[in-house]
Amino acid sequence: MALIQLENITKEYTSEETATSVLHGISFSIEEGEFVSIMGPSGSGKSTLLHILGLLDRQTTGSYLFAGQDTLILSDLERARIRNASIGFVFQAFHLLKRTTVLENVMLPLYYSQVPKKEYEQKAKIALEHVGLMHRLSHMPSQLSGGERQRVAIARALVNDPKIIFADEPTGNLDSKTGRSVMRTIEKLHQQGKTIIVITHETTAAEYANRIITIADGLICSDREVVSTHSHYAK
Amino acid sequence: MNINATIKTSIRALKANWGRSLLTILGIVIGVMAIVLVIALGQGAQKLILNQVQSIGANTIILRPGRQPTQPTDAAETLLSDSLKQRDVDALLKPVNVPDLQTADPAVLVPGVISYQNSVYRATVLGWTPNALGEVFNVYPDQGSFFSQDDVKTYAKVIVIGSKVKQELFGDSDALGQFVTVHGQKLQVVGILPSKGQVTAFNVDDIGLLPYSTAQKTLLGIDYFHEIFLRAKPDADVDQVAADITATLRETHNITDPSKDDFFVVTQKTIVATVSTVTQVLTIFLVAIASISLMVGGIGIMNIMLVSVTERTQEIGLRKAVGATNENILLQFMIEALILTFAGGVLGTSIAITISALVSTIAQTYFALDWPFTLPLGAIALGVGVSTAIGLIFGLYPARKAAAKDPIEALRFE
Repeated sequence: MALIQLENITKEYTSEETATSVLHGISFSIEEGEFVSIMGPSGSGKSTLLHILGLLDRQTTGSYLFAGQDTLILSDLERARIRNASIGFVFQAFHLLKRTTVLENVMLPLYYSQVPKKEYEQKAKIALEHVGLMHRLSHMPSQLSGGERQRVAIARALVNDPKIIFADEPTGNLDSKTGRSVMRTIEKLHQQGKTIIVITHETTAAEYANRIITIADGLICSDREVVSTHSHYAK
Repeated sequence: MNINATIKTSIRALKANWGRSLLTILGIVIGVMAIVLVIALGQGAQKLILNQVQSIGANTIILRPGRQPTQPTDAAETLLSDSLKQRDVDALLKPVNVPDLQTADPAVLVPGVISYQNSVYRATVLGWTPNALGEVFNVYPDQGSFFSQDDVKTYAKVIVIGSKVKQELFGDSDALGQFVTVHGQKLQVVGILPSKGQVTAFNVDDIGLLPYSTAQKTLLGIDYFHEIFLRAKPDADVDQVAADITATLRETHNITDPSKDDFFVVTQKTIVATVSTVTQVLTIFLVAIASISLMVGGIGIMNIMLVSVTERTQEIGLRKAVGATNENILLQFMIEALILTFAGGVLGTSIAITISALVSTIAQTYFALDWPFTLPLGAIALGVGVSTAIGLIFGLYPARKAAAKDPIEALRFE
């Protein structure tokens, strides 16, 4: 069974007078353990697609099965539960809480989970070890570099041991060297068995994936398997 | 989500803007302070008044003509009413009618001034019995003596004056045996009272006392009394005595319908009840006014919470993305509002108690008033409770706005 199964997904935004159509019928499925890049120019609808995939938004028509579950009938509460337990998000703008330590930022999803309180710190430390930030536990986000901040965000996405991690332009706010290092961290998670979906318009970042889906004007224009060139370098 | 982490998060958010948080709760602080202060000072003042009332003694009963005053015009009626006469005193003193009555001392108020040669003094001039002042208030002349029962019977033109009256009219020269003029009649000074100051309702220093018969017939030409002071026997049931008095007077006045009574009985108990009612009504009135400032404070909290929700749109979006439910967000902002208003309530209450303690200390030390400091537990509970309720009411709207935010919009917000 595919982890993600999309069937003819469309999305329209209706304001007072006009209806803006963003997605015109997207269908694909993603298996567990895949590393997929979704590419496309700005305005192509790729962010909207990610929001639907991440259960932050609902499609207008079409069906979306997440782990076999029809998402259209889920309540807000059930969607929040799934986001908390099965999905990790990494954003372009990091979205770390100010005046909150690295450790507590990583612990944030646990506050909303069923995880017993005494395990919070241990789980957060394991996640921070994955991204190599154990020496920054009690730092504030403002004391970190951009790359470090994004790795804190990755640790936060990891902390609940989700099935899938969505990364929305994870290198968009970083220079190319730092961006590569962040992508290598994400790639490492894939090697450890996580399903990864990265949205990007940078070819260099997209090429870490095994499969690249290209979107333009709300439609898929290509969907191809690729050999991750960077993995070769890593090995 | 566990409540401890939520409270910690809320406190951190409030501390991050502590200057603003402090200004925000100022309205609540002032509102709660006003309410607690009004109640605390009201209680102190009430106790002060009641202590004075109680000094007239539980056995004293005052009988007044007219109707029990419930509105300002009733007081005028009391002064003009001529319903209490000698026959009433005689009836009351019959043991058959009021068995536990010890004394009945009728009083006649003489308006006007006392003059001696060229000096004029506005004193409280009262036609009374020889024994009343001594028996009721335990005050006796230190020069000369009171007029006698015979003086009452013979309409003697004599007067006993207070120390201030003596000083104003005679200075240091001798007053005993001299004649003063009241209402066109020359009265001989037979006694001078010692300086006692205020004794319950009277300033003894400021008083002129003459036989009530003289005041009635010779000075005013009336046949009624303005007041009758009555004393129940020690250990008597004052309520029963008051009831007996009422029954006796209804009989002598031929009154069958109690609502048509042309007299009323005042006991210490009824004064206490009246004073309590008055101070309670005043307190409720002032608390109602103070509550307005609490409302304004609540609106201030709501305003700042709305600003805070907008400022923290991104944070809300992120929390929702990582799995916070609408209820989690609602709870977080509600707790923030509650912490703010609770802190405001505690602070306002503390300030009010400090001020109230200060007032009672100053009143006792510098004004020699028996103003007790009481810790108004009810007022404290009210202050803290009401401020918390304000947090619940005025925090709800901003918290609901926060909870209703769309996570995508929230994450896009820069």
